[in-house]
Amino acid sequence: MSTAQLASAPPSGSTIARAPRERTNSWPLVDRVGYWLCWTVGISLCLIALAIVLFMLIKGISYLRPSLLVRSPAPSQVQSQSGGFLDPIEGTLLVAGLGTVIAAPLGVAIAAWLSEYARPAWLARTVESALEIIAGAPSVVLALFGLLIFAQNFLGFLSQRAASGAVYGRSFFAAGAIMAVLALPLIVGATREGLAQLPDRLREASFALGRTRATTIRRVLLPAIRADIATGTVLGMGRIIGDTAIIRILLGAALTIQPVGHVPLIGALRGTGSTLTSYVYENSPAGEGNAPQKAYAAAFVLLLIVLFLNGIVTWLTNRGGQSERGGLSRAFRLIPYWSRLNGP
Amino acid sequence: MPSRSLSYTRRWATGRTDRRVERSLGALAVVVLVFIVAILATVLVKAWPSFSHNGLSWFGPGGNVDTQIRAMAESKPLPGHSIYYFRAWPLIWGTLLTTIFAVLIALVVSILAAIFLTEFAPPPVRRMLDPVIRLLAGVPSVIYGLIGILVIASYIEHHVISEARKASVAYVVQLNGKDVMTATLILTLMILPIMVAITANAMAAVPLSWREGSLALGVNRWRTIWRVSLRTARPAIVAATILATARALGEAVMLAMVSGGRGFAPNLLDGITALFEPVRPLAATIFENSEGLTIPALAHTVYAIGAVLLVSAALLSLSGWASKQRLKRYGIRA
Amino acid sequence: MRVHRTLTHRTVIVSAVLALALAAPASAVASKRLIIDGSTAMLPLVQKLATAYHKAFPKIPAPKVGGGQTDIGINDVASGRVDIGDASRDPIVGQDPEGLVWSKVARDGICVITNTANPLPNLTQETVQGIFTGDIRSWSQVPGSSLTGPIDLFDREAVSGTQDAFQDIFLGETLKISPSATQESSEGLEVNAVGADKSAIGFTSFAATLNGGVHTVDYQGIPCTLANAKSGQYGGVRNFWMVTKGDPKGEAAKFIDWVTKPGNLTVRKIVSSEWIAIH
Repeated sequence: MSTAQLASAPPSGSTIARAPRERTNSWPLVDRVGYWLCWTVGISLCLIALAIVLFMLIKGISYLRPSLLVRSPAPSQVQSQSGGFLDPIEGTLLVAGLGTVIAAPLGVAIAAWLSEYARPAWLARTVESALEIIAGAPSVVLALFGLLIFAQNFLGFLSQRAASGAVYGRSFFAAGAIMAVLALPLIVGATREGLAQLPDRLREASFALGRTRATTIRRVLLPAIRADIATGTVLGMGRIIGDTAIIRILLGAALTIQPVGHVPLIGALRGTGSTLTSYVYENSPAGEGNAPQKAYAAAFVLLLIVLFLNGIVTWLTNRGGQSERGGLSRAFRLIPYWSRLNGP
Repeated sequence: MPSRSLSYTRRWATGRTDRRVERSLGALAVVVLVFIVAILATVLVKAWPSFSHNGLSWFGPGGNVDTQIRAMAESKPLPGHSIYYFRAWPLIWGTLLTTIFAVLIALVVSILAAIFLTEFAPPPVRRMLDPVIRLLAGVPSVIYGLIGILVIASYIEHHVISEARKASVAYVVQLNGKDVMTATLILTLMILPIMVAITANAMAAVPLSWREGSLALGVNRWRTIWRVSLRTARPAIVAATILATARALGEAVMLAMVSGGRGFAPNLLDGITALFEPVRPLAATIFENSEGLTIPALAHTVYAIGAVLLVSAALLSLSGWASKQRLKRYGIRA
Repeated sequence: MRVHRTLTHRTVIVSAVLALALAAPASAVASKRLIIDGSTAMLPLVQKLATAYHKAFPKIPAPKVGGGQTDIGINDVASGRVDIGDASRDPIVGQDPEGLVWSKVARDGICVITNTANPLPNLTQETVQGIFTGDIRSWSQVPGSSLTGPIDLFDREAVSGTQDAFQDIFLGETLKISPSATQESSEGLEVNAVGADKSAIGFTSFAATLNGGVHTVDYQGIPCTLANAKSGQYGGVRNFWMVTKGDPKGEAAKFIDWVTKPGNLTVRKIVSSEWIAIH
């Protein structure tokens, strides 16, 4: 083979070098049917996904006005007076921020333990199974559990009290804490995968220099997988942003952010509000507002946020120079980790 | 990974720092364990009164579910029954219908799509399909619900369901486009990306020499895929199906929006009309009744439904995890 | 050097925790906000009253008003989760929890509504009863309707006060709405549903029909308007109540007194705009 042909051969372990055109003339009918079915399904999937994106794009652009992004919603049946969705956007950021702040350190710590220590072995396996169960639990059930916990008296400082003394139990704290549970398996998974990819010689070299295991983790391993931790965190954020059930159950049904008390950030976290997802739900035909236009606009903003987060994940995973396998990018291979992404 | 680190026994937890760190990190991991045990325990304890008053017939048929919920909400027990009387079969049937249909359709479509993605797609198409599938996996369920209600449900109501069909069931239920068919279509779309991703990852990891060997023996490409790659990826397909089922089971918001909102059990003997009848799966029922938890009987019933969902999802997740372990044989990180 | 950094780390962490711990009780001592939920028919009214109350007394935070429907509000106030429950129906002995005190705040009309493509001129009581109990199933059997085809019934959920009031006033004690009707969980949803389906018929509070989108049907020959409801000619009128556990106390008492005080012009103006004032 000439040098040009050698240079153009694909790397081994990926796709087979094939002739310029697939010649199916010699195949039996069944095989040909299968072949064309595959093509049909593949192209239809492209078309359907593109149709969804284009539809949301068109509806969103036609209904989204810059004023919507900066005005607070007001309760009114009349469209022109019901304001925009500034508070839902703030609410989304609050919940995603709180959930990630709680889940990220916890997730990295658990992943480090599972990967580097993991003694005794039965405990490690049990923790892994527990994480799988959490990852698969429906978020409505997690929200029900959250209602129980945060309505307890000793946690009254995390939400507000009715004048008769009973704990209201719904606030950004409550929603954020349960959202952290949603994001945890993703962060743990991504960090563990990163730690598993690190070659042993890193650890060996560090030990040879006299460092303890704890220092190795903190100063050598974790900084080396910063991109994976970031990927896990962004995936966790994506999952938090897309959830509606927990918001509806644990955040009350207020339209605007109503802080409790006068401390700036804590007051807002103790209060109730709404997020983009609950705003879209409320304005859809399933909710109160007869405002599909506002629902489309808010859904468009939500979609843009998801696209942005996806873009960050692509950038993060491509930076590491991880090889493609079979033509599928590394981010694609992460999808099973977020197998319940934006789940129930 | 544990097996590797055992070789560092000399470095194993020497010094106080290491032992302290190992114990504190381990404590954090145990927190996760405690959490899941707490959820299971609390939900089961709060669900117990509903199960104890109804026994195993909790899962069986026995009247209109909505009437039973109404009786609990108004604290007026139905004549001859306790306040906890509840027969969840219509809800379970609705869940089974939507989940099973969606998983079956998604199974077929995802296998074909995965084959397309890994084998037949030209590189530009593959490069485009990759982020597209990631986008589909990331779209929030409320947006799927919005499209479902505003586009698909209204299309089905006005163009697919005829007046005659509506009249044929009007004395029992109203058909308005929010039904089993809409719910199944959108649920399929939602679980497709997971299944395609897992199957495609597994197929791409099949050793090249196996496929080349098959082709060298004269088997045509399609049969190679079918008999070599797919068969190797079979554990992945099983894992994908289990995980997708767990996902479909727990979907609450989208189904609450498009599946019809009525605890009605479609009768399959109605034929095609059964697909156009409303249902309300278990998770959607919890979602819609989440406001009334101060009423004790209703709260216990809702927690009972939650317990059923939690236990099923836990069993499915565990079996999905167990089947993913088999894939590690081929070094497939799925 | 390492000792230094550990000390700095520890100081930062301890001061952050202290700051949070001090902030929490401080915010807990601040003035309590009233929490109100219940009837969705009363929701727009109580929201307007809450805003006006806060404007009249700027030091008192505006009450937090939610929905959830009447029975949920009654149960919430009985269990102490909220301070005031809104009820859009009269108390039902034997069903409502004990120990509640009901304060009437307004009256409201219930209208029968249809889609704008089906502008029924009038309905008698027998026809209303026949349609809503499911005896009459097709629009061709209803005099005055130009549609043919099956009737799509829209009802409210069991916990709705509007549904109880409608059944009492229009159907009487014994008749019940057909179980095949679609149940909506709020006023807004009911109006939306009827507005979207041309064969639909339902019922809602008068105030919810003001934004258009549905056609209100005359009942027994009398149009469903605010004037007719105020004068007593229109028969479908029900009471709005604010429910507390025991006599109203503290912040709840202040709010209810302000709303029910005879001669309070602000309140009277708000209520008379879309509902019927009782003082």
